[in-house]
This record gives sequence, structure tokens and C-alpha cells, in this order.
Amino acid sequence: MSTDPQAQLTNDLRAEMREAADFVSRPPPSGPRGTGRRKARTSDLSIDEELILHSIGWEPLQLVCGASLFSVPMGVWNWGQGEITFASEAYAGSFATATERIHQECSQVGGRGVVGVHIELSVRRHHVDVALVGTAVRPTGSKGLSPDPPFVSDLSGRDFALLHVAGWVPLGLAVGASFVYAPRRSAGVAIKQKSQNVELTNFTEAMYAARESAMERMQQSALAMDSTGVVGVRVTEGPMDFAHHAVGFTAYGTAVRLTAERHQPLAPRMVLPLDDPAPEFDVTSLRSR
Amino acid sequence: MPDDVPEAAGRRFAEGAFTSGLSVPDFAACLQMGLQPVGYVQGFCVMQWRWYGMRSPFGVGVPYGGQGGGYEETWQCPHGFVSAEHRGWGQNYEQSWVEDAWRQGFDTAYRRMLEEAAEVGAHGVVGLVDASDRLGDLGVLEFKVQGTAVRVDGASDPDGATPWTTYLAGQRLAKSIEAGFAPVSIAASVASVRVWAYCITEYLSEGSNASWGYRMPTSEIEQTAHAHMAVRRIARERVRAQLGADSLHGASMVTTEAELGQGDAELQCILRGNRVRRFKEFDPLPPPQPTVRLR
Repeated sequence: MSTDPQAQLTNDLRAEMREAADFVSRPPPSGPRGTGRRKARTSDLSIDEELILHSIGWEPLQLVCGASLFSVPMGVWNWGQGEITFASEAYAGSFATATERIHQECSQVGGRGVVGVHIELSVRRHHVDVALVGTAVRPTGSKGLSPDPPFVSDLSGRDFALLHVAGWVPLGLAVGASFVYAPRRSAGVAIKQKSQNVELTNFTEAMYAARESAMERMQQSALAMDSTGVVGVRVTEGPMDFAHHAVGFTAYGTAVRLTAERHQPLAPRMVLPLDDPAPEFDVTSLRSR
Repeated sequence: MPDDVPEAAGRRFAEGAFTSGLSVPDFAACLQMGLQPVGYVQGFCVMQWRWYGMRSPFGVGVPYGGQGGGYEETWQCPHGFVSAEHRGWGQNYEQSWVEDAWRQGFDTAYRRMLEEAAEVGAHGVVGLVDASDRLGDLGVLEFKVQGTAVRVDGASDPDGATPWTTYLAGQRLAKSIEAGFAPVSIAASVASVRVWAYCITEYLSEGSNASWGYRMPTSEIEQTAHAHMAVRRIARERVRAQLGADSLHGASMVTTEAELGQGDAELQCILRGNRVRRFKEFDPLPPPQPTVRLR
């Protein structure tokens, strides 16, 4: 028998592959692992994420989702001033309702939270659509409902595990959005600036106003969950495709709280990967032009 | 022995050199696990694709859907009679004929691929790729399923058994096996829901909840939101029905919406993933060790 650990690993893997192939060629066993005793589980986590969840004592349960659409009345995007409150409210409403629905599905399958949530988000002229899809998880073998509401997080299984090891927990998605009307310039100003490259202060100011409101809302929603902060914040900003005088700023991330006495240092190990791409040398870059 | 593998394919498989769709790292990882590629196997099926086929409301000549069974929900207009054009009621219903046609196309392509895999004496097929694409404007949908057929070194002869299949290949498959999950098959399902909007859905979807300076507050478009939840629920139920006591890993759920105007919409959700069966218990990994890459 080989004493080389690498050869041993290869032999183990080959033996396990054989065992797996022989196992699936037979009819599914009855009993504890057979039909009828165990409910089928579904998950959109990768095998890496699943393994890492198991390593911290959690397990995936079921694929769960929540979706909602809120209406935006006609004519709000093109004429007006200040914030387009209908659109901001529609965004907040659809996110809140979709989150409530994924909470319900998570609780129904006995999950304590949802990780790896994919957020499908679309702001259209007359409605805002939000869909959340993720995998409900729970501590391995735990039964019954938790007194705390389930958390919903767009962090991957790996990020969730890292947070967990460091003594933090995700609490939910913190969301903020604001849509602001960028007022049109007066005819005189528009003519004067026609041939100049100048800052369009109406757009800059609208962008700043949208940003402040959206970031503040996100922070407020995090505080409402009794969190200490938000990680993995993603923002989108810019004029709307269908209304060039409206700018939008959206932000969301996962609200987190420290549950350990203090942050657990992770003491990362330094690694020097040996799979760097070979540096390319292009002789033409040295020639003078 | 399969009987409808094309003659040329049979000849090609008998020629000796293997073909494979695996990347070089996946190929190396498969050899490490004792998986020998034996052939790149494929299955195709081209289906005529009509939204208004048999068993659709148009096909059977009735003005409403849902008679095929499955999900159905109706909404009643709160306004009473307004005009002939007024959408007095609305309906969400599952388009079972669309789902059946998708199922038929996918299953046929999948079965043909399995026949080719059985022809080459494979135990399984790894690195599966599937797609359904419209062919131009011909009103047809092409289903294709392809992957690399493999034999497992030292495993008992498949003896005509249906090969197992997985979207995984290489290192991810190795990790799955190491974790105690044997690949059984891929699992895929589709759900299709049609929204016939009633007046409120029409108004809300088209922004008509405003007139001459007065705007109604924003509110949920309940009918469409229900359809979104339903289409995802149906797709998941279908896949669960295929699983038995097995699990679905690495699932991908893709939902598309076609807005048809006046609040009408058609939703489609495709869910696919790897059906796996636990063949051994495994020791949990130690908690992950964070690393910093020095580059």
C-alpha cells in the first residue's frame, strides 16, 4: 500500500467514485435514507457553499422565493420637482412585500434564514418588480421555529460562514432607494451652455439628493433591525432609461450584528498562489511612436 | 441496446478515440477520480412552438384558460358594467400545454443523449450542458442536451442500465462525491403562467391610476405578483416530484416575463439542477481557514 498522502487521496477518491456509481445503479434504498422517510431538499447553493455551511454546523433546506410588483402612476417621471415619492415608495413597498413572502416560505420549511439570495430587480415606467430567490438554511438538525424572524441575506454561503466564524450574524436586507427629478434648465441657460462643456448642476444636485435619501433609508432600515452595520452594499445610480430627467439611486446590503462578546479575529493565513498568469511581454510597447 | 442512435454516431463511437467536452482541468480531475471519458454524447429535438396549441383556450374554443388543471385564480372587477371594452374580470392560469410541450422536447433530447451514452457503455454523463433556443422566426424551439459520457474504473458493468447524469464535472464533482452525494440525474422543470389582466391590473400596470393632477397611492399589482409567486412555486413542485427522497443541488431558477400590453403577461420559470443521493455519511470539514492571497 502506498504511504504517499497524495496517492492515498487519489485512491480514496477512486474508491468513493466506484462506490457512488454502484450505489446509484441499484434501486433507492428503503429505510432511513429511502423514499417516504426523508423529504426532498432543494438548494441553489454550489457544492462548495454547501460543504462550507456544513463545516459551521448549518444545513440547506429548500429553495424559497418572494416576489412583488408595485405600481407607479403615470406622469410622475417627466414633470415635477424634488423627489419622485411614488417611485421611491413603490420600490420600498415591493422590496418589503417580497421580503415578507420569502420570510413566510422560509418559516414554512423550518428555516432560520435564507442565504445566497439572488435579487432580481427592475424599475420600469409603471411598476417596480422585485423577486428574491435563495436557499433556506438552519443549524443542522434543529427543529421548530425560532422566536426570531428569519434573516434574509444576499451573502453567499461562504460569506455567511465567514461572518459566523467571526461572531457576527446577518439580520436581513437593508434597502434604500430614491428617485429624484432633475429640473430642466431655463431656455436662456440651455442656449448659453449649448457649446460649452460645463457641469450640469441640476443633474449633479439631483444625484446627490437621491444618494443622501437612499443611503439614509438603507441605514434606517438597518437600524430598525437592531443591526450595527451593513455589509456587501451594492448601489446603482444614474438617469432612468425611460425618463432622462429622472435620476435614481438604489442601495441594498445585508444588515449584520455582532453576537459574540467581541469580534473573533480570523488570523488569515498568507498564501502565495502558484497559478498567476504568466506576465506577457509585448515588444511593440517599447517602440517610440 | 438503444435502437435509434444514428448509424453514423454508432460508427463514430466504435472508432476507438474518445471525444469529450471537458476542459483540460476537468478532464484531469475526472481521470484522477477514475472516470474515463468515452464519448461526447448529444441529443436534439426540434419542436414546433405555438402558444395557442391544443388544450389552450384557443385550441378548445373557450374564452378562458385553466381547464387543463393546475393553478388558476380569478379576479372580479369592482366597478360593475362600464363598457364592452372594460376588463370585467381577470384570470391567471397555468399553461399546461406549454409545459407539456417543453417537457416533451427536453425529455426527448435528454433520452436521445442517454441512448448514445448507453451505446458507448457509459456509467454516467458528466459536464452536461442543455439549452432551448428559438430557431429564427420559424416558430420552432430546438432542445439540446450534451455532455461527456464516462466509465468508472473498476465499477460493475452498466449492463444496459440508464447512465447517471450531472451538470458537474471535474473538481466540483469530486467534492460532491467526497461529501457523500452520488449523482443520480439532472432534474429540470418548466412552469408557464398566463395573466389575463382585469381592469385594476390593467390600470396599475399602465400607470392609469392617475388623472388630471390626482394620483392614487402606489399599490401592489396583486394579480401579476400572484402569478410571479405561482410560476416559481409550480416549477419547484415539479422538480420536487421528480426527486423522490433525493436532493437537488446547485439549482438554477430563471424566470422570464413577456409583457403583452394592457397588463397581460406571460411568465415562464425554468428550474434545473443536479439530483443527488447520499451514499455515505461524511465527516464535516473543519471550519474554513481564511487566507490572504499575496499577489
